[in-house]
This record gives sequence, structure tokens and C-alpha cells, in this order.
Amino acid sequence: MNSIQFAQTLVNGIILGGVLSLVALGFSIVWGIMHVVNLAHGAFIVLGSYITYTLYTSLGIDPFLGLPLTMITLFVVGYATERWIIHWVIRAPLMAKFFITFGIGMLLENLILQVWKADVRSVTTPYSGASLAIGGVNIPLVKLAALALSILMVIVFHLFLTRTRQGNAIRSTGMDLDAARLTGVKVAPIYALTFGLSTMLAGAAGSLVSMTTSFTPDAGARYTVYAFLVSVLGGLGNVPAVLAGGMIIALIQVFVGFYAPALKDAVSFVLLVVLLLLRPQGLFGKPFTSGKAE
Amino acid sequence: MTRGDKILYIVCGLLFAAMALLPLFGASGFLLRTITLALMYAVMALAWNFIGGYTGYSAFGNVAFFGIGATVTGVMMTKMRWDFAPAVLLGGVICSLLSFLIGPALLRLRGHYFAVATLGIANAAREIVAGWDDVTGGGIGLNLPLNTDKDFYTFIYYIFLALTILSAVITYFISRNKLGFGWLAIRENEEGAKALGIDATLYKTLAWVLACFIVGITGGIYAYYNTAISPEAIFNPLYSTTPILITLLGGTGTVVGPILGAMILLPLSTWLLFNFPGIQPALLGIIIILTIIFLPRGLYEYLSGRRKLTLAALLKNPRDNQA
Repeated sequence: MNSIQFAQTLVNGIILGGVLSLVALGFSIVWGIMHVVNLAHGAFIVLGSYITYTLYTSLGIDPFLGLPLTMITLFVVGYATERWIIHWVIRAPLMAKFFITFGIGMLLENLILQVWKADVRSVTTPYSGASLAIGGVNIPLVKLAALALSILMVIVFHLFLTRTRQGNAIRSTGMDLDAARLTGVKVAPIYALTFGLSTMLAGAAGSLVSMTTSFTPDAGARYTVYAFLVSVLGGLGNVPAVLAGGMIIALIQVFVGFYAPALKDAVSFVLLVVLLLLRPQGLFGKPFTSGKAE
Repeated sequence: MTRGDKILYIVCGLLFAAMALLPLFGASGFLLRTITLALMYAVMALAWNFIGGYTGYSAFGNVAFFGIGATVTGVMMTKMRWDFAPAVLLGGVICSLLSFLIGPALLRLRGHYFAVATLGIANAAREIVAGWDDVTGGGIGLNLPLNTDKDFYTFIYYIFLALTILSAVITYFISRNKLGFGWLAIRENEEGAKALGIDATLYKTLAWVLACFIVGITGGIYAYYNTAISPEAIFNPLYSTTPILITLLGGTGTVVGPILGAMILLPLSTWLLFNFPGIQPALLGIIIILTIIFLPRGLYEYLSGRRKLTLAALLKNPRDNQA
């Protein structure tokens, strides 16, 4: 690996890291706050990609302008999903919550397949090929914009969670359900809001991903797995940790991928297991007590 | 044991007897294969039941051992020219050794963290098998020797039937033994179980190793049955999730739950596939959602007569579980 290859791989890793953070952010928040591992997260991301695709191809709305529309749609879908389905099992045992989201994922993936068919799609704009070259390092402009928007959204979401009344209500619900309720937080709408925001971020991730890679209705499972890796590595329900986790996973992916492409996922998963055994709270998370981690 | 339990055991016994006689009456190949698959899932559901149902540890990556069992069997039969039986047994033994080595460390994790770690192991196993070209055939996988005997499928059918009965009998005896009570104690309150003098690590590891051994054997038999094995196919996450769903539908921590669950869910999903081919996954998803909301403890408590199946009873569950 010479210095230009190194710089190029590093840039690729940082761009991937920004997007992976956005992919994982909603997943990590729902897990940390609601104690629900959302196996349908990837399907929501793919739904975001398809909505952006339809807005662009049918109505001619530029994908970057379509981004807010996609996010609003996904917020509504997520809010309704929590209110009408997940709401009924929020106090059920872990496996029940796992499988309700598994069922939602199956349903959503099949609905996407029925509406948009199985063809491979991508969002290609006139400026998709444009790129910036700095000293031999090639940076596609669309990916650079995706990185900037991803990091912007992660930061804005962090500020929302830490600086606003609603954000504090969400965080306190995650810390101690009963204490939050005692201080006057209405828990049911807060859960729906949290889930809606999580799918909204999934929609944003899907929208940005659709501009750089092609997608099919069954692409969701892979995103869910990456969301797992990033959230566990970083720590749950903690926004800066998700950003760090995303960057680390992305750098492992690109650098291991440079030398041994076949092993890049194996290394990530072995790291996940080892990390869980040594530091279950994640690299940057606070220690958890087994009772609360349920 | 209540009267309802006795009736359920008799029903299961009659079901097994009917299945044992089925090939003698010249059942069609399609019917035989459908039941073979249902039995295979019943075995894996009974295996998951040890660790997930009785011990209460949400293993979410049992497919790791399904795939490893299938790969070991495949490698031994193609590269070493071993016979079917020793190859499958070796697969099971390797799965139990691996699970025994990682078990004590892994089982320190609880709840979601255990589930995610097992999921990670399943993914790591798939990537390693897919990346190890020289031995496992890499992403393409292996082609096992084709068995052209006309009774081959009946043979596999009987193997899975025998394995289901054996697993059910093992479950029955363990559940009435110190080991089974120890598992239940750990599930309900691990610290309390330890205070009573139960060696939690040993008990948990036993449940885990037993589950992984059975799943490994099942994977090996599946490899021989299906002849072509690729990492994509044998590490399909559905081999982790379907057995859990079956157990949840039938009733976790019971002997008959996984068997009845498999005999209901698999034929139902096949029927849906034939009548509504395009939207079968969506319908299955809706069935999963409704089952989880309205039957969180499975059908067992109603079938055994512990609770009356009334509308009020069904509607009570979601009310109890909302925030």
C-alpha cells in the first residue's frame, strides 16, 4: 500500500463511516431507549431508498431535495408502526420484542417487493459522476455530500436529545421508565416519537445510500447487521459513540478489505464477539447493569 | 402433570405413530418432503428450547452450528470419502466442542447482549466458511455424493422422525430431573439459583452444548439430504429464526410445544406459499405479529387446559404488555 492508496482508502473509510453512523443511529437509539432490537431497521432504510427513487423518477424531485420528504414519510410510518404494533408488546419478554420486529421486517420487505418489484434500482442524477481530485485521491462529490449530511444529522440529533425538552424526555425514559413517568413524562407518546425519529433517520440513510449504491427490496438485512456492529461497538443510546463506532467499523472494512476482501466481514464479527465478552457496554458506553440491559 | 398434559402427550404419540406408518401407505413424495422439513425444524426447535426455552438464554445464532455441522459433513464426505453416519457424528462432535469452548465466556452475557453475540458468531462462521476456499469450497460450497437409492428420501424422513422423538424424550426426562429444574431456576432468577447451590455456569453450558450438538447433527443430515451446500444456503438466518418462532408459537419451556408448533407453522407456511405465492412472506409476517401480540406464551397453555381460550384471555395479553 503506497501513500496515495493509503489516502484513498482512508477517505473511502471516512465516507463509509459517516453513512454507517447514520444507518446505525436510529437502531441504537431504539435499542438504548426502548430496549427493542429493531430487526426491521434495514427494511425501513430500503423503504427510504425506494421513496427517494420514486420521487426522482416519477416526479423529477432531486434526491437531495427529496430527502426531507422521505424523512417525513418515514417518520409517519415509524410512528404508526410503534403506535399500532410495537406498543402492544413493549413490556413483553425480549424474544417477543425481537420477533415482532422480525415480523414487521418480513411484512415491509414483501410490501416493498410488491410495489417496486425485484429489479435492481439506483438513483442516478446528471451530477452523479462528478468528483473532486486532490493529489491523486478521488472523492466523488455525491459521497462527500452524503458524508456531510450524515454527520450534520448525527450532530443535530445529538443536540435534539441533549438540549430540548422532548429530547430530555426521551433520554429519561430510557434511563428509568418509572422515574420518568413520576416526573410527568407521558411514556407511550415518547416511545412512538422515539421510534418515529429512528425510522426517520433510517429514511435519511436510505435516501443518501440510494444515490451512491444500487438497491433491491431484500437489501435491508445487510443494513441491520451493520447497525448491530456499529451500535454494539460504540455503545447504546449514545450519539457520539455511534459516530465513533461507525468510523471504526468502516475503517476496518476498508483496510481489511484492501488486503483480504474475503475476510472483511469475518474480522468485524469476530471483533464484535470479542468486544461483547470484554466490554459489553461498548467502547464508549457507560457500564450497564444486567437488569436494565433487558 | 395435568389431564390436559396427558392428552397432549397422547396426541403427540399418535402423531408420531401416524408419521411412522405414512411411507408404508405410499405417501406422495411431496407430502413426505413437506413433513421431512417440518420434522427437521421440530428437531431444531426442541434443541433451541433447551437453551432458549428452559434456561432462558435468547440464542439467536443457532444457524452457526447448523452450517458448521453441514460443512463438516460435506468436507468429510467429499474430501475424505467418509460414510454418512461418521461424518454427521463428527459434525455434531465438532459443534459441541466449539460450543463448549466458547460457552462459559459467552454465557456470562445476558439478554440482548447474549442474543447479539450469538448472532455475531453465526455471521463470523459464515464469513469464515465462505472465505476458506481450499477446504470448504468457498462461496460456491460443496456437492455431496448423490444417493440414487429410490428409498433415500424415506430414509432421511425416518432419520428426522427418530431424531425428533429422541429429542422429545430427552427433553421429557431432563425436564423432570435436577438438571431441568436447575435450568428453570436459572431462567427465573439466576442469582437465586446460584444461592441455592446450582452451578449456573455448568448448567447453562450443558444446555448450550446439548442444543449445539443436536443442531450440528441436523445440519449434517440436511447437507446429505440436499447434496448441494453453499454458505449462503446453510447459514441462512431463517435456520435460526424459524425454530424460535415455532417454539414461541407452541410454547417455550415445554416438551410438546416445539413439536406442535412445527406441525402447525411449517404446513401452514407451505400452504400459504402454494395459494398466495407472491405475498406469502407478508402473510407470514402478519401471522408472526399476531402470534406475538395475542399468544405471548404460545398455544401450550390453552391446549393443555391451563387457561381457557376465550376472547377476553387473548385480549388480556396485549393490555398487560403495553407501556
